[in-house]
Amino acid sequence: MVNSNSDALGIIFPNSYDSLVPELVSERLMASIPFAGRYRLVDFILSSMVNCGIDNISIIVRQNYHSLLDHLGSGREWDLTRKNGGLNIVPPFADKAVKVYGGRVEALASILHFLRSQKEKYVVLSDANIAVNFDFKDFVNSHIESGADVTVAYVREELPAGLLKLRPESKVFYYTLNLNQDHVEKIYINPTMSGPQNLSMNIYAMERERLIDEIKTAFVRGHIYFERDILAPQLDKLHVHAYECQSYTARISDMKSYFDENMKLLYDENLDALFSGNPIYTKIRDDNPTRYIPGAIAKNVMAADGCIIEGEVENSILFRGVKVGKGAKIKNCVLMQDTIVEDGASLEYFISDKNVTITAGKVIKGTDTFPVYAAKRQVV
Amino acid sequence: MAKEMIAMLLAGGQGSRLYALTQKLAKPAVPFGGKYRIIDFPLSNCINSGIDTVGILTQYQPLVLNEYIGNGQPWDLDRLHGGVHVLPPYQQASGSDWYKGTANAIYQNISFIERYNPQYVIILSGDQICKQDYSDFLRFHKEKNAEFSVAVMEVPWEEAPRFGLMVTDENDKITEFQEKPKNPKSNLASMGIYIFNWDILKKYLIEDEADPESENDFGNNIIPNLLRDNRNMYAYHFSGYWKDVGTISSLWEANMEVLDPEHSGINLFDDDWKIYSRNSGMTGHKITGSAIVENSMITDGCRIAGDVKHSILFAGVRVEPGAKVQDAVIMGGTVIKAGAVVEHCIIAENVVIGENAQVGAMPDADEGSVATVGPGIYVGANAKIGPNAMVSQNVKGGEEQW
Repeated sequence: MVNSNSDALGIIFPNSYDSLVPELVSERLMASIPFAGRYRLVDFILSSMVNCGIDNISIIVRQNYHSLLDHLGSGREWDLTRKNGGLNIVPPFADKAVKVYGGRVEALASILHFLRSQKEKYVVLSDANIAVNFDFKDFVNSHIESGADVTVAYVREELPAGLLKLRPESKVFYYTLNLNQDHVEKIYINPTMSGPQNLSMNIYAMERERLIDEIKTAFVRGHIYFERDILAPQLDKLHVHAYECQSYTARISDMKSYFDENMKLLYDENLDALFSGNPIYTKIRDDNPTRYIPGAIAKNVMAADGCIIEGEVENSILFRGVKVGKGAKIKNCVLMQDTIVEDGASLEYFISDKNVTITAGKVIKGTDTFPVYAAKRQVV
Repeated sequence: MAKEMIAMLLAGGQGSRLYALTQKLAKPAVPFGGKYRIIDFPLSNCINSGIDTVGILTQYQPLVLNEYIGNGQPWDLDRLHGGVHVLPPYQQASGSDWYKGTANAIYQNISFIERYNPQYVIILSGDQICKQDYSDFLRFHKEKNAEFSVAVMEVPWEEAPRFGLMVTDENDKITEFQEKPKNPKSNLASMGIYIFNWDILKKYLIEDEADPESENDFGNNIIPNLLRDNRNMYAYHFSGYWKDVGTISSLWEANMEVLDPEHSGINLFDDDWKIYSRNSGMTGHKITGSAIVENSMITDGCRIAGDVKHSILFAGVRVEPGAKVQDAVIMGGTVIKAGAVVEHCIIAENVVIGENAQVGAMPDADEGSVATVGPGIYVGANAKIGPNAMVSQNVKGGEEQW
């Protein structure tokens, strides 16, 4: 084909790490968590893939996916309404023994027929818990040049507190890599070391045929997890290549990190790092521009369109359509779309989910270490 | 499949009174209200009124307009049957013609209209800011059993001589049409929005085309001919916000009125009558700790570190620390450098205003002129642009232009 597209198809697992942020996913999944004023987490990986010419993308949903379906629609905003490829949302196939997928192996096994019939030579796999402008083209090229069986992307950073808090019995896994040059020698499952680690982003590239073979074999043996059951035990046989991601990353691993990662974007260098590359696409809402009414004071604020601000806002992120009434004071808050703060209310270290209303005069204060959260559609 | 009513949108106006703003841009594509272009208003009115087929007649600088309209998707006008179509003049076996007048533009597209076999055709104008329910207009047209209806606004009697006026009887039936008369008999100004029964419109278009003396204009030819034949003609009273933004000062004024919807009546915050537009796709706007923002509209992609008062900023505008912006309309992608002062003016897209430059001035009396800087202009550091200036070429650092 005469184009600059990557010869890869994309697969996204939108439910991964849901259990780290139980409040935020009570009516949605990780991929549809609102982030950075006007986006959902899935927008970042999805746009990154599209911007690198990957235009055949499957999203394997497991549960709570209504909000994601509503957000993605036909995929038009990501330029994914294609005759060939485009956006393909795969819900669980309910049969006699209705059971949702337990891990990537099961999820991928459910689309083996689809994978067999595709034309792309490579596959890239990703979760949706990290906001990153990821260069999939460079990633796939690096995979091809290395001649490896599998390439995994990682970041060099300390383990996030949210991951270290995981209980041993939880079925949530994260991985660090022991490297020899760019070669993965060992994969640690849920390690607790301090200091910077090679923390896996769970983004992989491999040949499509190879993936099909591995999944087929693993599924028959009753395996569940791609890393734990396929990669880790076979490191002596498989050439697993490590690719360091140098881009700005915002990983959501608990409520605190959700708050912090939003707040970090109030610094221009972070905002530029995340957004100055290729555009990140999202669902269009056709809001009017944000209006600052006389009496409004805004200091160090990131706000999306559709807001009406009459009160004081400081150090905060306002999503689309937030209303701040007269005399209201907002400080160090993340207010998701269509939050209404009525006249005279005062909020500090507060996270409001979508459509929350704070009635007039209410005073709510969280702390830096423990921001208060109000669930979707709550009236406080 | 026949359509009940389709819309024909006259968007060929050169907009010569907008000078620097329309040198490379058709008037309907001129940005307005922070994230819109003028044409978003009639297109959104169409879809909100249930009209899903719109022909847009263009012939002047159509490049930006064509790209902006695209397949019509932002207005939900990408349809299997119907949707939005840009209709430039084209060559025919008998030769090619530019659109000679508004009526001729429709005449040349009779075959387009016939594809949809409509009962009614609404003629719209691409240079007005107006939120109007065309379905209510059609209901009126049908109730009156009219063959032609025109939307009219009551204007103050002293201003009436500037307009085309409809003289009506007590049943709103039009008895006389006065084009910019010295002695007005009516204060009902035509908004340039018409509903025709298609068979009537077609008949008069063909007749008008055959008349070599005709200017092929709705106001000057078609409407007088209808009156001559005693057709059933009615005036539909519209009382909402309506503004012709054909001049720099009216364009500036209309933008400023957006900042005061409570009094001006132009409410863009109406969830039941959204104005759709092609989105910038930029991230949310950012206001730093040192910035002051008062009574303004700010949209995606803006970065504000200076003072912004009573102004409208379009997508991706940057205001550096110490810069002052007041009573200004600043279009997309423009950068106001540190220490620059920008007042009472319109600055087009992708302009750079250099450090400590001065553009426009707050007027002393009520009637101040609006300084205008055209698209892509570079105004050097310490330059001065006077309140009457119309800048369409780069201004070097330290230079003055009045």
